[in-house]
Amino acid sequence: MTVLAFLDTSHLPVLVVIGLAIFFGTVGAKLFKRLHIPQVVGYITVGLIVGQSGLKIIHEQVIESLEPFNFFALGIIGFLIGGELHREVFKKHGRQFLTILLSEGLGAFVLVSLSVGGIVYLIRGDLATAAAMGLVFGALSSATAPAATANTLWEYRTRGVLTTATFAIVALDDALALGLYSLAAGVATILTGHGEGSLGAMLGQTAWELLGGAGLGVLVGIGLNFLVRRGGDHDNSLAFIVGALAVVIGTARAVKLDAILAAMALGATLSNLAPRRSQEAFRIVERFAPPLYVLFFVIVGAHINLSSMPAWMWALAVPYVVARSLGKILGSNVGARMAGAPAVLRKYLGFCLFCQGGVAVGLSILAAARFGGELGTAFILIIAVTTFVVEILGPPFVKFAARRAGEIGLNVTEDDLMGEYTVGDMVSRTAPTFREDTPLSRILRTIAETDAMTYPVTDRQGTLVGVVTIQDLKQSFRAEGLGDWLLAFDVMQPPADTVAETMPLAEAVARMREQELEYLPVIAADDHSRLVGLLELRKVSRDLSQELLSRRQRAEASQQSPPAGLSEPEGS
Amino acid sequence: MRIQDHLVPGRIVLLKAKAKAQALGELVCLLADDAPGIEREELSRAVLQRESLMSTGIGQGLGVPHVRMAGLRQVMMAIGVSREGIEDYGSLDGKAVRIILLIGAPAGQHEEYIRLLALVTEVLKSAELREAILAAKSPQDVYSLLTGGGPS
Repeated sequence: MTVLAFLDTSHLPVLVVIGLAIFFGTVGAKLFKRLHIPQVVGYITVGLIVGQSGLKIIHEQVIESLEPFNFFALGIIGFLIGGELHREVFKKHGRQFLTILLSEGLGAFVLVSLSVGGIVYLIRGDLATAAAMGLVFGALSSATAPAATANTLWEYRTRGVLTTATFAIVALDDALALGLYSLAAGVATILTGHGEGSLGAMLGQTAWELLGGAGLGVLVGIGLNFLVRRGGDHDNSLAFIVGALAVVIGTARAVKLDAILAAMALGATLSNLAPRRSQEAFRIVERFAPPLYVLFFVIVGAHINLSSMPAWMWALAVPYVVARSLGKILGSNVGARMAGAPAVLRKYLGFCLFCQGGVAVGLSILAAARFGGELGTAFILIIAVTTFVVEILGPPFVKFAARRAGEIGLNVTEDDLMGEYTVGDMVSRTAPTFREDTPLSRILRTIAETDAMTYPVTDRQGTLVGVVTIQDLKQSFRAEGLGDWLLAFDVMQPPADTVAETMPLAEAVARMREQELEYLPVIAADDHSRLVGLLELRKVSRDLSQELLSRRQRAEASQQSPPAGLSEPEGS
Repeated sequence: MRIQDHLVPGRIVLLKAKAKAQALGELVCLLADDAPGIEREELSRAVLQRESLMSTGIGQGLGVPHVRMAGLRQVMMAIGVSREGIEDYGSLDGKAVRIILLIGAPAGQHEEYIRLLALVTEVLKSAELREAILAAKSPQDVYSLLTGGGPS
C-alpha cells in the first residue's frame, strides 16, 4: 500500500518533490543552454511541465507549503543584487539612474494603462472598470523581475555600463512599482467603490513598507558586517549571512515590510561597509545559491495554471506585453536622453527590463484580494500568463542587449577564461621540433636561436617519440666532435606526459602545475601519437592575462565612455 | 670516468666477420650475454634501428653503435677489432671500419652514456693508439691499450 501511495504523485513527500524539481530543473536548463536560451527559462518550463499546467506532479499544497522557502530564495537573490549596488556607482550615476528609472517605469505604466484600459472599455463598455484595470495593470507592468534579469547577466558574465545600469534599475524599480501600485490601487478602489481606508492611509502603508524594509535591511546589515568581520572563516560567514537573511525576510513578512527590498538593503549595506572583504562573502553565497534558484524558478513555473484562463482575457495579455515592452524601451530611451547617459543605455537598456516576476505576481495577488471577483481573477491570471511569456522572452532579450552592448564575457576571472579554451586554442604549432635523425650540432644551433626549454622529437611520420630538454644536453655541450653524428634520437627522453589537442585547457594546465612541467607536447586527438605542437605554461598564462586585461579594459571603457554627443548635465 | 668501469676483456673480440650485420651481431651477443634480462634479439633490434637513422661509422675507421634500453642496469661496452675492415659499414668518410665500440646504456642513464661516448671517441682520435689496437694479438692486449697503456 505504501508503494502505491508513493506512486500517487499527490502524496509524494515534499523533500522528494524538491529533489526532483532541482534535478529536472537543472537537466532542463542544460538542454536550454545548448539552444543558447538562458537557464531561467529552462527552470520555468520544467516547472510548467510538472506543475499546474502540465503533469501536476507538484501540487498546489506543496507549492503553498514552500512559500517561506520562496521568500528565502527571493531574499538571496535580493541580497546578491544589493551586493552589486556600490556607493561609488550611485554617486557617479545616481542622477542618471533615477531619471531613467522614472522614465522607463512611467513609460510602461502609461502605455499599459492606456492600451489595457482602452481594450477593457471596448469589451465591457464600462469606463470606471476600464480605468481601474488600466491603472492597476499599468502599475504592475512597471516592475522588472530582478531575479531572471540578474541571473542572465551573471550567467553571461557581463560587465559594463549597461550591466551596472540594469542592476541599479531592476533593484530600484520594484520600489517604483510598489509606489505606483499603491497610488493606482487607491484610485481604482475609489473608482470601483471597493476599499477600506483612504488614499492617504494607503500611501502611508506603502511608505512604511518601503522605508521600514530598507531600514530593517540596513540595521541587520550593520550587525552582519560586524559578525562577518569577527567570524573568521568561510563556513561561519555563510551561516551568518543565511541566518541574517532568514531573520530579515521573516521579520519583514511578519510586520508587512517589503521583504525583498529589505534583503537588497542588507546586501547593499554589507557590500558598502566592507567593499573588499565582503566580496568573499558574496562569492560564498553565489556558490551556495544555484539549487535555491533552480527550485525557486521551477516552482514559479509550476504555480502557473494556463488552463483556467477565460478566452477574452487572452486578448488583454497581448497588448499588456506589447505595451509594457514598448513602454520600457521608449521610456529608457527618453530617460537616458534626458539624463545624458551613454548611447548604449539609450539603445539597449529597455531590452534588459522585460522580465516580470515576484513583485508583479505578488502585487497581482494583493490586487485580487482587494478587488475580488472577475476583476481579481483577471489580475492574477493575466499577470501569471504574461509573467510566463516575458520570463521566456525576457532573458533572451537581456542576452541580446548585453551582446549588442559588447558586455558579454567581460566579467571573468582567469579560471573562467581558461574554461573557454581547449589545449588546441593555445598550442604553439610553430614551436621548434626535431626529427629523430637531426644531428646534435643542428639541435644546439636551434636551441641557441630560440627560447624554449623543451623540444619535441618526432619520427618521419610526425609521430611524437620523445623530447629533448636543455637539461639533458648539458653533457654534450662540452663534448666536441659528437655534434655531427649524435642524433636527437640519442639524446632525447621519453615525454613525461602528453595532452590531446581537444583536452580542456584548465585540465591540461592543472596537470602541468601538478607535475611542475613548463612544457607539454600536444598530440592529435584522432591519432594518438601525431605531434601537433607544444603547450607552454608561460605562454598560456601570458595569453590569458592579456585577454583578461583586454576584456577588463573594454568593460572599463564602456563604464567611462562619455555620453555620445551630450555633455554632462551637471552645469545646466 | 674510466673505460675499465664499463669494459671487461671478455667483451673484446677480434672479428672474423667482414659484413656489418655479422660484426654487429657478434658484439650484440657479447653484450647481451653479460647483461641479465636482456635478450640478444631485443638488443640487436634496437642497435639496427639506430643504425637505420644514420650510420655510426664516424670516420677514421671507427664505428660507435650505441643504444639506450630500459632493461640495461649499467653503461656497458663491447669492442670488436677487424684488421681487414668492414667495407659496408657506411662510414661518414666512406672508409672501412676497423674498430667497433658498441655501447649500451640504461634508458635513464643519460649523462654517463654521453660522457662515455665522448671519452672513447676522444681517446681513439690518436692514430697511434688505433694502429696499436689493430696490431694487438689478443683481446687482453686491446684491453690493456685502452685502459692503461694508451693516452688517457
